[in-house]
Amino acid sequence: MITIVGGGQLSFRFPKVHRFAECGIEFQRTLRIPDDERTYPLPPGLGRFPLRHLDDFADRLPRETVRRGGVIMPIHQSEALWIKFEGRWGSPYPCAIKVATGKVCAISGEPWHEGLTQGPQNYVVVPGQPWLDGYCVAKRTIRQFVAMSLGDGHTVEEQLTGQGVHGGLQTAVYPMKSEVYEKLKLPEPFFGVREVGSRWRGMGLAPGGRMSQEIYEDEFGLDAWDQDHGGRCFVTMANSQQWMAITGKRPPTQPPTVREYGRAGLPWFLHYDRDREAIEGAERLGVLKTVGEAAQAERHGWRSSKPD
Amino acid sequence: MSRFGARTRQIRERLRASDRRYSLRQVARRIGVEPAYLSKIERGAAAPPSEATTIRLARELGEDPDVFLAMAGKVSGELQEIIRKRPKLFADLIRQLRDAPDEAIFTVVRLVRDGDW
Repeated sequence: MITIVGGGQLSFRFPKVHRFAECGIEFQRTLRIPDDERTYPLPPGLGRFPLRHLDDFADRLPRETVRRGGVIMPIHQSEALWIKFEGRWGSPYPCAIKVATGKVCAISGEPWHEGLTQGPQNYVVVPGQPWLDGYCVAKRTIRQFVAMSLGDGHTVEEQLTGQGVHGGLQTAVYPMKSEVYEKLKLPEPFFGVREVGSRWRGMGLAPGGRMSQEIYEDEFGLDAWDQDHGGRCFVTMANSQQWMAITGKRPPTQPPTVREYGRAGLPWFLHYDRDREAIEGAERLGVLKTVGEAAQAERHGWRSSKPD
Repeated sequence: MSRFGARTRQIRERLRASDRRYSLRQVARRIGVEPAYLSKIERGAAAPPSEATTIRLARELGEDPDVFLAMAGKVSGELQEIIRKRPKLFADLIRQLRDAPDEAIFTVVRLVRDGDW
């Protein structure tokens, strides 16, 4: 069961698996780090992107977009995001989470398919993996998620498949099997009372600047996850003009620049967890052109080549 | 130590273990209270703060504001207003769902539709 909580969090709950089986996913606005081949620490969150039910705007969206269901969020061209995984009740229930953009797995670089795999691992495990800031291109190195319009050839989907058909972001969550969870004997969680028409091109995500982040290896093994009770969601992305056309409202604030970031005195921070093993990066993703390289190529009058 | 205070400290300390921005002093500054006051709250020496401060604290710690308010013995003004507008309807609804399992409650909550992709 997937709901939108607080206007900005996807809440996945699996009451048939276990009463504590739930996980929250939200998309955080952030600074786009420089795409200069240096490796940067992780930038902070600047607030959540709002999420809305796609069906609320079905009459203003192309039929193929409506068919996917899910949610829609506004994101500016070239704006960066990171994904926050939240097990919310103090003692989160373990879940395996897949993340793809344009139906290309951000962890393994493989095309989207249902279910979990290892060799290469195509998911992250929470708790333990609090954030995902980009594409896993090498061990302990990722390329930041940066929004680009479909059709310009920059998105990971377009670079790998030669087509910009899907765009957006896709996620699927599989809770741990209840019998495995019970054996872990984790402390019990706390509970309180508890038509844009023919101009629509959609948005996708492309690889941006490089930063240091580990994608941890699954310590539980594939058999720990209840793949019969997963939940998945397609996140459609709309740029500011599209968002206004669809909703009649302005999207949130403009993405910040590096200068604004510096002026604001916002800190960078590292996620330290050196005791755990990181997975290898996806070679398939590591060779992609970054947004900065693509822009430089265009300035010199030639476009990035697409794979056959 | 109050449940609210203990829980707040537990969450903040856990965050601080990986990010120094979650020191008592820095969290207090960001939510607009004196560090000494936040310390008292965490130790249970002061009652939970106002609704607005509790919500700021919950958001700062990445927690659900409604759950934090409930821990503080409060119901958000926003929820009270919703009930006040249609008191009979919502009172009936809440009473009927009081003992219902989560699954039953989800049948009246709007779910995100998964389509064909």
